[in-house]
Order: sequence, then C-alpha cells, then structure tokens
Amino acid sequence: MRLKALLFAACLSPAVAIYSDEVNHVDFHHALLGTPSPDSTFFLKPSTASNASLLYTLSDKLLVGAVNPRDGALVWRQNLSRSADSPTRGAGLLRGLDGNDALVGAAGNYISSWSAQDGKLGWEKRLTEGVVADIELLELEDATATSGIRDAIAVVGSDGVGIVRRLDGATGKTIWEHKDTSGDVPFQVSSSSTEVFYISLQSAMLKGYKIKVTALDPVTGQQTRQQVLNSDTDVTTPESVLYVGANSASPLIAWTDKSQKVLKINVIGTKEITSIAIDNTSGSDIRQITVHAPNKLNSLPHFLVHFVTETGSWAEVYHVDLRSSKVTNAYRLPYLQGQSVVATSVIGANVYFTRITEAEAIVVSSASHGVLARWDLQTPSSEVALHSVSEVVTKGKSLAVRSALFREHGDWQLVRNGQVEWTRYEGLVDAVAATWAETDIQEDLVHELEVEGHETLYGAYLHRVKRHVRDLQHLPDWLKDLPTRILSSALTDEVSNLDSFGVAKPVVIATKNGRVHALDTGKHGAVSWSVQVAETTQWDVKAILSSPGAVTIYPSDGSSVTLDILTGEIVLRTEPSDTPLHTIAVLSTQDSTSLVTAGVGADGAPVTALTKEDGILVTTSADGRVRGWIAEDSKSPVWEFVPPSGQKVVKATARPAHDPVASIGKVLGNRSVLYKYLNSNLALITAVDAKAKTASFYLLDGVSGMVLHATTQTGVDSTQPIASVVSENWLAYSFWGDVTADESSAKGYQLVVSELYESPLPNDRGALDSASNYSSIESLPLPHVISQAFMIPEPISHMAVTQTRQGITTRQLLCTLPSSNSIVGIPRPVLDPRRPVDRDPTAAEVEEGLFRYAPFLEFDGKWYLSHARDVAGIREVLSSPTLLESTSLVLAYGSDIYGTRATPSQAFDVLGKSFSKLQLVLTVVALGAGVTVLAPMTRRKQVNALWKA
Amino acid sequence: MRHSANFLRYTTLHLHTMSQAPLPPPPPPQWVVALNAPMPRPSKAASSISDPPGFSSNRGKQRQQQQSTTKKPEETDTLKMKKAWEVAMAPSKQIPMNAIMMYMSGNSLQIFSIMMVLMLFKGPIQGIINTNAAFAKYETPSTHSRLLGVKIVYMLMQLVLLALGIWKVNAMGLLPTTRSDWLAWESERLPLERAQFAFR
Repeated sequence: MRLKALLFAACLSPAVAIYSDEVNHVDFHHALLGTPSPDSTFFLKPSTASNASLLYTLSDKLLVGAVNPRDGALVWRQNLSRSADSPTRGAGLLRGLDGNDALVGAAGNYISSWSAQDGKLGWEKRLTEGVVADIELLELEDATATSGIRDAIAVVGSDGVGIVRRLDGATGKTIWEHKDTSGDVPFQVSSSSTEVFYISLQSAMLKGYKIKVTALDPVTGQQTRQQVLNSDTDVTTPESVLYVGANSASPLIAWTDKSQKVLKINVIGTKEITSIAIDNTSGSDIRQITVHAPNKLNSLPHFLVHFVTETGSWAEVYHVDLRSSKVTNAYRLPYLQGQSVVATSVIGANVYFTRITEAEAIVVSSASHGVLARWDLQTPSSEVALHSVSEVVTKGKSLAVRSALFREHGDWQLVRNGQVEWTRYEGLVDAVAATWAETDIQEDLVHELEVEGHETLYGAYLHRVKRHVRDLQHLPDWLKDLPTRILSSALTDEVSNLDSFGVAKPVVIATKNGRVHALDTGKHGAVSWSVQVAETTQWDVKAILSSPGAVTIYPSDGSSVTLDILTGEIVLRTEPSDTPLHTIAVLSTQDSTSLVTAGVGADGAPVTALTKEDGILVTTSADGRVRGWIAEDSKSPVWEFVPPSGQKVVKATARPAHDPVASIGKVLGNRSVLYKYLNSNLALITAVDAKAKTASFYLLDGVSGMVLHATTQTGVDSTQPIASVVSENWLAYSFWGDVTADESSAKGYQLVVSELYESPLPNDRGALDSASNYSSIESLPLPHVISQAFMIPEPISHMAVTQTRQGITTRQLLCTLPSSNSIVGIPRPVLDPRRPVDRDPTAAEVEEGLFRYAPFLEFDGKWYLSHARDVAGIREVLSSPTLLESTSLVLAYGSDIYGTRATPSQAFDVLGKSFSKLQLVLTVVALGAGVTVLAPMTRRKQVNALWKA
Repeated sequence: MRHSANFLRYTTLHLHTMSQAPLPPPPPPQWVVALNAPMPRPSKAASSISDPPGFSSNRGKQRQQQQSTTKKPEETDTLKMKKAWEVAMAPSKQIPMNAIMMYMSGNSLQIFSIMMVLMLFKGPIQGIINTNAAFAKYETPSTHSRLLGVKIVYMLMQLVLLALGIWKVNAMGLLPTTRSDWLAWESERLPLERAQFAFR
C-alpha cells in the first residue's frame, strides 16, 4: 500500500512542482528590510582578502540585512525580533568593522553576532539583567584577544543599574564586567585606542542630566577615572545629546543649548567643553543638527556638523587638535536651498564628506574646502532624502562615490556618481492592502461588443462590418510587427507570450505610510510607479476595487482615491465621512458586473444605505458578534450570532467572491455520485475560549444565520495562529492542539479538513432533491459532514485557496508558514477526508484517487510555491483567476511581497517550454521541400512505368 | 462472347454498307455459319477419346441432376432448408469465441479492445441488414414461408452477438447507465436569497 501511495504521490507531484527554469519567470519576490536606521547602516568590507564591500543595515523591523551595492539584491537577512523577548526601545543596534567578519546586533535583551559574509549566526546571548543600551566593537586588538574577531563592549541597563561588559568576539562569553550602581541612566559606550569610556547620564538636582564619563581599562575593566560634565542646563532628555563618537581617534560628545544657538563639544576623556556659537545666517530656525565623524582609530580627528532648517541646510567642518583637545572650525559647506544629506567615508587616514542635495552630489576632503568631485543628479527625486551612507573610492587622482540614500517615503536608493543605480522600495514592507488591476486595453472592444449585443441582427452586422473596416487602419502596423512577432514567438519561451491571457496583470499595493505602488508582474514585479496619496503613518486601507484602467482605494476614514493604473495619476478623490469605518464591504450587484462598497461601523451596522438588491449584509462587530442586515432596517440586525459565553470570535471567513464549482457532485469509484452541499452563503466563524482552551468553528448560513455545522476542539492554544478557510463544499482550519486528559488527542499543529455533502448516501440529492433553487429561510437542509485531521509540522498563519476561471482545475490550499518563511500549496486530493483509515483502499477507492490515510502530513518539497525563497512576514495571500483555466495568480504581502503563478493541475492548456515552435516550422518546411522535390520524380517514374507496360 | 461481338461488328458494318449502296448481301463467312449452326455431333472416334486426367465430363451428371430436380422439388426444398438452417445457426458458433475474447481483452480502453468491440458491433448489424441477401440462394416460392422462421432465428443469433458487444461496452463503462454519467446535466441549486460578507 505504501508503494501505491508513493506511486500516487509520484503521479501527483509534478502537478505542483516548480521547475528550476520557471524561477524568476513565473514568480517575483521583493525581499524587504524596512526603514534602515541611520546609525546602524554602513558600508563594510566583510573580508580583508577582498576589496568588495556590502551595505549593511538594521531596519525598524529589526531585520539585519546585507545588500549588494551593485544591484540592490539582498545577500542575507536575519530577524532579530524573533529572538528578542522583551519589547525593544526604539530601533536596535548593529555594529561592524572593516575586515572583521562579525557583525554584532542587539535588540532588547538579545545580542547576537552574525557572519558578515553569509549571515550565519556566530553566537547569541539573551540577557537576564536588562536591555542593551549601546554596543560597540573594539577596533584595537590587544594582548587578551584570542581570535581574529574583535570583541564587543555592551552596555546593559535596567532600573538604575548599568553594566558594561566586554564580550568575546568569537564566543560571546563575558571577559570582564563593570557594574555601575549609582542610579545613573546608562547611555552609551565609546572607546579610544587606549581606553573604554562608559557614558551615563546623572540626574541633576533640579532637572536635566549631567553627562558622566567613566574611563575603563580595556583589558581588565577596572575604572581608571571619572568625569562629570556640567550639561544639566542643556541636556534635559537622553535625546538631547546629539552625538557620542565611538572608535575614533578623538571620540567626542556633542550637544547644544536649548535655543540651539551654541554647540557644545567635549572630547571624551577630557574635562573641557568647547562652546561654539552656531552662525545661523539662513534666517529660519534650525530643525535638526547631526554630527558626522569618522569611526576609525587611525583617521584624522575631523568631524562635520550638519544643520538643517525648514528650507535649506549647511554644514561646518571642525578639526580636533589631538594634543590640546581643542576644537577649531576649519571651513563651511555653504547654505543651500532645499534639503541635503551628508555622509562620512574614510580611506586610510583621510576623511571625505559627501553632500547630496536635490540637484547634485559633491565630495570634499575634511582637510580643505575644495570640492574634489561634483556630479549632477541624473534623475532628481521629489522625495526628501532623510539620511545616507557613502563609500568613496580613489583611483589615482579621480574619485568615485556611491551613496545609499534613504528617502522620505521608503525608497532606498543607491546613487553612484550622480546616477541612480537601483532603488529598493522599502515602504512596501508595510503593505496593508493589495489587488490585481485591470488595464483598459480591451475596454473599447468590450464596449463595442456590448453595443452589438443590444442591436438588431442587421444593425449588429452593419456595426461589426464597420468596426472591422475601421480596424483595417491597424493593418500596416500589424504587418510591420508580424516578422518580429513570429521571430520572438519562435525563439523565446512561453512566458512573454502569455501576457495576453491575464497572467501579467499589474499589482496595486497600498502601504501604511499612505503610498500606493504599482508592480509590473510581467517584469519580475518591478515598481512601475509609486504615488504618495495620503500624508499619514497609519493609513488603514480597507478595500481596493479595480475597474478597467483604474483602481479605487477605500481607507477606513470613508474617503476614496481613484488612480489611473497606467500612470498613477490621481483621477478622483472623495472626502472622508464623519464616522470612521470598522469595515468596508465590497458588494457585487446581482449580475456581478460591477462592485460597490458599503461602510460598516464598529457595531457592525451599515453606515451607507443598502439597496434591496444587495441582499443580506453579514458583518462582524467590534464586540465579537456576527450580524445580518437587510436594506429595510439599518438599525437592528435581522439575525445575530453570539458565541457561547467565554468564547470570543477571532476570525470570520466566507467563500471567495469568485468560487465557481465545475461539478456539483463527486463521482465515486463505482460511478455513483456523492452530491456536494453547495451554498454560496456559507460563513465560517472561529471563536476561542482562552480559559477553557477550546476553539470552536461555526459554519453559518449567511442569510438565515443558522448554524449548519459546529465543532469544538479542546486543548487549543489560542495564542498560536488559528487559520481557517472555506471554499466550494469544504472548509479547513489549523490550530495548535495539546493533549487533553479525557480523550486520545494529539499534541502539535493540526490541520482539519471537512467536506460537506447533501447526503451520506450516494446518488441522493438530499431533502430538496432536484429542486432548481432553495430558500435559506424556508427550508435549509443540514449538510452531511465528513472530517479528517492531519498533524502538520509547522504552524499555519494564513490560509487561502487557489482560484481558477471555471473551477475545473484542482484547488490548492495555500498556507503561509511563518516559521519557515514560505508558502505551501497543499493539493486538495491529499486532504481528502474520505481517505481510508487503517486499511488499504479498495479497487474502487483507488480508481477514485483515494489512498491510505496517514495521520502525519509532511509538506512535500514540491508543494512549496515559494521553493527556496525566504518569504518572510506574510500577512495575507490573495489568489486570482486568469484567462487560462490551469493558472491561478498568487500574491502574498505583509512584509515581503511575493507573487507567483500556481498551476495545481499542471499547465495543461499551455504549450510547455519543451515545445519547440522552430522545430515544428522546420519540420513542416522540410516536409514541403521533400514533397516538391520528390513529386516530379515520382510522376516521371509512373509515366515510365506506363510506357513499359 | 467474342464471337457475338464480332458478329455485331460485322452486322453493323454490313448495315452500314447497305445504307450506302443497295448491293446484294454477300454470303456470311464460314465462321458465322459455324457459329449459328448447332454443334456438330462429335465423331465416333472423338467420343471414344478418353477425357484427360483431372477432367471430368459432367455432361452426364448434369443430365442426371436435371432429371432429379425436375423429378423431386420437395427434396431440393428440404435440402435448401437444411442449408438455410446451417446459415442461420452460423453466428451462434461465434458466440463462445467472441465471449472468451471479450472476457480476456479486459475492460480498459485500449485500441485493441475498442477495435474488437467495434468489430463485434459491425458484424451483427451488417448481418441483420443483409438477412435477405444471405438467404437469397434458398429463396423459392415454396420455401418462402418456411424461411421466415429461419431468418428470425438468424437475426436472433446476430442479436445475441450484439448483446455480447453491448455487455462488453457496458463493462468498459461506455454506456451512460450510472448517475455519474448524467451529472453534467444536473445543475447547481440556486439560492433565492443572497448574503454578502464584510469580514475584512
């Protein structure tokens, strides 16, 4: 039997496998990081052997990533938030050193070391004492160093106790520890070539903080001296300190007074505070001051202070005298209108500053004010650059620079000598809603056909003739394109030719920061346009409707924005309504030709008036009830579903809007029919009881609110993801189940599949028999439910079902696996609840395609739609039919964006790549040539034969 | 045959010349005379020549037969009926062979089994259509009424063969006899009310 099952699996598997040559053709993936944090983003040469550098960052989503600066591709990525237990304060920290193959990242109480080249974990540490406040790598190797990997100094803070720790670079073990129990706020750590400085903030008598610098011996951790700087009048919060330099020849602390008139600088280790008056000639208030200093021990002790006002910016460059620790102003980068960003780069001892304004990029040396290189930006962006990191390369006299700019609405760009090399749309990481858009290429034709359909026979004929005559004007173009079309179709593979079958529909994605992106799925998901629609950070988009040539976005404030799909132009904008909306219902009209929306308030009541044709609107309310509403009464619901006391509704799903059923019954092995229970108004409600540890699943009829089927699972951990889906005549859900004492139950993640049938008997259509329609209100028979549970290896966070045009193709259950960052499409035949249990299938069952039930369902490697890709943080998976019955589009979004095509029953209506059109044409040509050559010969032979006879 | 053709040609030629000039008809050639004249009796010497080996002169037998048929028509009829019965029962001899073949060939849809089934259908149907032709040899006014029963039995035998074919087709699952064969004509029940969901 196992052999049979294997054989069956072998027959089944090619149907869902993705071949290696389809990768990047049928799918695209935006591996995103999120907003890179300014002080944890840097260029770094991971290996001393090679001069190649990578761009490293730690994002606001606590993802550590290495990006190839050449093409913007992600080299590796790790998620720190998965391992950090305690909530983190702001962004995490990431530190690295050139030639040191270890990056040290910290988030919350979690410190980890990652190999810079491949992102493999070196070591990790969870602190019990508190949260990591700062971390630095010791650049200078000393006698105690045991390996080539530099040690890290970490500052851990908790409830008035600050701990400075030196951690071994290779193992993460503590070498020494310095405890500060004075009750100061642990702030930062810095180091020079001889000392480690622990900087803490001491609360002053009245208000504000005094900066306390404790110098520690790097080898033993013994305190050598301590200084307290009188900063309490200026520093009111830890954020008031502008900069604390690290790993520099002259590490410094910089802050300003409250009115931002005087800049105060202290070289760490000394007592002097240099006060420099800020020479603000711009006339407007300074909005932001940033200090850019080199972070290498052997670099010149120069630094730059960048001043940003509302309308422009300028920068001052200062030199530090190492002997006297005096700070002197060297020169000034002039005030320029518009925003600019500055970045520091170091080559040997030389320090370079790169300033990128809206129009140009310039490089200056820290030593003198002469501009070393200047480039005009080729494609100026309208978005304001927030921060940048740069890498300068000198070759003889010439100089090249590449800068990674992070722009305001999430675009991360690499500008190389003024040219934009690549853009990563990191804003997509917060995608809240997405849909496939319809281009309006066919719209005119559809309209014309509609006209023809409504006219008389003769009129329609005339109309058609006229249309065809009009179409003749395209003939010359068509003929001109013909040779290239034939050539391209003969030489290229099928992918480019399937676009007209609706497989290359553009995708519109709305993100949390009020931006709308359009992705061209035909070009590996490249962003074709992105438009800032709303200035917000919490854009709660409830629905996106697509009509030919346009998409309309409905956020929760009741407004709407319509955008042109080709250009991204805002075509129409409607004003927000008074009440915020809980949900926005997408209603289809009776003939399902157009879609309209209706707002739903927090109590589930429709805000906008329904029409009678809309039928019954089923909503969920904020207090966890499911209610049905009709057009006549928008005050009180027609029916209400309240789960038993203690239970809370956590999820409600309904059958997809497009869910065609090809066959209304299931043909059994003996050719009798088990009729499917088909009801287009099914809703599956998941309710959990956290105390009793149960999860209940209620199958409701949406019209009457009647519970058609209910099941309760015991020992359920409600904190783990519970996913559910309902389609056709079946439903599926997954949860974490634990062993409960009273029955034989399984511990682990479970996937339960239930199928609904009209009757347990074959050839029986149930109580309604052959009635052509049914009323849910008068008589609705209950379904016969067959269920089966499977143990699965991983949790499933979201479920969806593939949709095809006519529903003939087998469906796949699309499951998002958050722990392995992948999306798996489980073929429905595998999940058949009628699989024989504890016995081999009979001949009839084999004919039906059933094979023996095995409790453990391992996800076959061939089921993975995301194959080798690391598709992280997926919140929702969408599926859409194409004009090809075999093919279903799949789009996953949430953190990464991933799009692919699923062919659950293989691409049976598409010529495969192995089909060579060229070969076919050549064969026909060869046959034709053979016939023309051989025909006269044969004719002559026949005539000769006649003469001889 | 050739003789008569030549003669025809000759006569047309003759007529032709006659129409041209009213000349007295020339005497027919010798061979025409010989052709039209009865066969000369073979000479004694010729009759004494024995037949070559392997050649049997049926002149005498023919005469005998003619004598017997003319003498006993009832006997010929019985003989004809006997023959007709043999023809009528002939299909029944194929039944066991066909049954075994059909049983052995399996119920899978393969080119050979399909071809065999087609032959099984073609034979009986053709046989039934050609019933009268098959018994035409034995058809005489006197046997006509008696042949009716024979024909019915013959057709029955063909029908048995046909039934065998139908049984086989049914076994192969090609007959729409089960509920699943008519499933495509059954339609989904339509709901009278419609619910729309706002769960997102």
